[in-house]
Amino acid sequence: MHYVIIGNGVAGINAAGSVRMRDSESKITIISSESDHFFSRTALMYVFCGQMSAEDVEPYERDLYARTNYDRVRGRVASVDSGANKLTLTSGEVVSFDSLLIASGSVPFMVDYPGIDLDGVGNFVTWQNLEWLTEQAKTARKAIIVGGGLIGIESLEILHLAGIKTTMVVREDSFWPIAFSKPEGDMITEHVRNHGAEMMLATETDEIVGENGSVTGLKTKDGQTLEADLIIFAIGVIPQTEFLKDSGIELSERGGIIVDEKLATNVPDIWAAGDCTAVVWFNGVRRPEQLWYTGRDQGKVAGFNMLATESERKDYKRKTFYNSAKFFDIEYTTAGYVNFNFDGERDWYQCDSIKETSQRITYMPDGAVIGFNMLGSRWDHRPLVKWVEEKRDIKWVLEHLHEACFDEEFSPKFKVTEPAPALT
Amino acid sequence: MQTGLLNTYQKSVSNRSYIAWVMSGALLTFYVLIYFTDFFTPIAAQLHLGGKWGMYGTLYTIFIVGFGIVFLRRHGQTPYQRLRTLSIMFFQVVFAFALPHVMEMFDTPGYNFAYFWPLNYSAFYPSTIASQPLPFILYSMIGAFILVPVLTFFYGKRWYCSWVCGCGGLAETAGDSFRHLSSKTTKAWRFERYSIHIVLLFAVVTTVIVVTSFIFESRTGDEFSVVYPIFSKIAGPVKGFYGFLVGAILSGVLGVGLYPLMGSRVWCRFFCPLAAFMGLIQKFGRFRITVKDEMCISCGNCSTYCEMGIDVRQYAQNNQDFKRAACVGCGICAHVCPRGVLKLENKWDFASWGDAAGVEHVDV
Repeated sequence: MHYVIIGNGVAGINAAGSVRMRDSESKITIISSESDHFFSRTALMYVFCGQMSAEDVEPYERDLYARTNYDRVRGRVASVDSGANKLTLTSGEVVSFDSLLIASGSVPFMVDYPGIDLDGVGNFVTWQNLEWLTEQAKTARKAIIVGGGLIGIESLEILHLAGIKTTMVVREDSFWPIAFSKPEGDMITEHVRNHGAEMMLATETDEIVGENGSVTGLKTKDGQTLEADLIIFAIGVIPQTEFLKDSGIELSERGGIIVDEKLATNVPDIWAAGDCTAVVWFNGVRRPEQLWYTGRDQGKVAGFNMLATESERKDYKRKTFYNSAKFFDIEYTTAGYVNFNFDGERDWYQCDSIKETSQRITYMPDGAVIGFNMLGSRWDHRPLVKWVEEKRDIKWVLEHLHEACFDEEFSPKFKVTEPAPALT
Repeated sequence: MQTGLLNTYQKSVSNRSYIAWVMSGALLTFYVLIYFTDFFTPIAAQLHLGGKWGMYGTLYTIFIVGFGIVFLRRHGQTPYQRLRTLSIMFFQVVFAFALPHVMEMFDTPGYNFAYFWPLNYSAFYPSTIASQPLPFILYSMIGAFILVPVLTFFYGKRWYCSWVCGCGGLAETAGDSFRHLSSKTTKAWRFERYSIHIVLLFAVVTTVIVVTSFIFESRTGDEFSVVYPIFSKIAGPVKGFYGFLVGAILSGVLGVGLYPLMGSRVWCRFFCPLAAFMGLIQKFGRFRITVKDEMCISCGNCSTYCEMGIDVRQYAQNNQDFKRAACVGCGICAHVCPRGVLKLENKWDFASWGDAAGVEHVDV
């Protein structure tokens, strides 16, 4: 058997491991246009800041590929011929496979603004982006981040720390409304501003202006021109599936590879995992899950299923949603379904503006808790998820909330100060 | 972002640049001079610091306090880091430095109550015992055989290594800029498991030989010394060799001299016999690091900044709570984790008794 994996990211490497664990003989080939070694994309910002070295962000020792007998091909896949079980690289090289996993990840979503091709405009997603940004940061004096998501705020933080005057331009009128209420978003905005970085809310990009091929600023829809010699677009990522257009592999409207619950595509012997897939979410919507741990899980399941007989194959099923992030110094944990706008949902909320902490619990009219949004302190998502799954009552949850605290030892004890809601 | 760690790899002191090599060379030279020559004796006398060891103790304390303050500015955001750093500074200033001096003023031999056998390898040498009042001898015994194991069982070796110990104190403070230089390779881990236990064995054997030979000598003429004359013959050389190799070369010259090249815990990780002893107990004790399931983003800050070279990330990304004999509980892994995945805890957990090694570098 020859297993070919497109992508040396978290989904690809976990799939390879899943295969190799039960099959020490078969040939496994990993194709990557990005890097020789699997690295943690989430840690690019630490490399930029000199907090970690290139090797530090590689989760396995470099002998991994030799030790586990993975072949590596550096190159970009141009097309997949699914009928002939062959793929072609942009170099012209042809690789044939018995079983293929597509784990090509994401590419930044870009809008075709005038001036988007100017020098000094880019993204912060790939290793090549990191190299580019490191070079840019040497001379840049003023930077703009377009977009108010996670990559955006991480880019804002690292450029600000590199001593570049950086402004984040956010279309919405509070920070990250997909996850945060207005007060929560405002707390982050204020925190960012207290650090000396700038966040402009309710500001939309109109065009990018430049001189002699290089960017000089950004024009907003309300007519301001913001000066900048570096602009990072961080308005989201989309599945990297351009090369599959004529492959016969079914894609969703937004380019995600349509997979069934076993992570198989519509073409036999072709599987997909990670950011490039569109999986069915709890509410029936099909869309990508662009998270680190879902990429890892999908990779493991897909790798297992590639090798398994039909009856052995496992389902990939995402249970209750949870995630974590960090906004400058403010840590964030979420569990369950906050900001999904269910009918009749309500919030219990308390915050401490001095410590910059807040807790928000969303519950239904009958008191059943459906989600948690915790900022500024550490929380164990496991009990939170469990309580959501058990549909625990808000009063009970508030009494037990301290049990889910995950702050370092000797931290002050967590207290519920806001009263529990009276249910009608 | 941990602003204290910004540009770690760009600073010439902490990125093994030529400056680091020069620094390491200077430290090695300093330690060779102080251990094996009287080069510093006149300087110490001029500074009214007593002998060269008086001068060394003063310098050592100044470094721990000074860099302790630097550490607090860097990592002092959480109570755990604040408390243990203040504790380290306290034990150095009061127990290691001031109290022995005060005792000497009252004509009692100076005694450091925070310095236990087998780290304090001469604690039970007959010559030491002969020079100390009985309560101190009893304390040495209770300390090494009751206090150390019991506290370690309940709180992990961190109660000593990153809260009390002077060697650990210097590593945590003056050595903080070098913690990322510890090797995380499987090779280093394999070496560590041999080296540290060999030194522990050597320490025990040395003490046993020295004590036994004394007993035999004091019973000259009886059958034991006739049957085992070897003890008296080798006691001196063994003791001398241990003092030279472990007491001087490994703990001092290499232990501190290699800070800028191999990280701050070379001595503690590869050679300290007390750390080895406590590590064995830690495997069965309550202290462990709890990992939140499926939250790790494999960034590797934890592994990078583990001064003991533990590849924490392997456990974190495999969702495994773990106990490692080497862990000194400095808490930096949990502190630098951007997703709050790790937590140091003392917790009864019978299921994992003795499960110290945990995963052996899980590949995939």
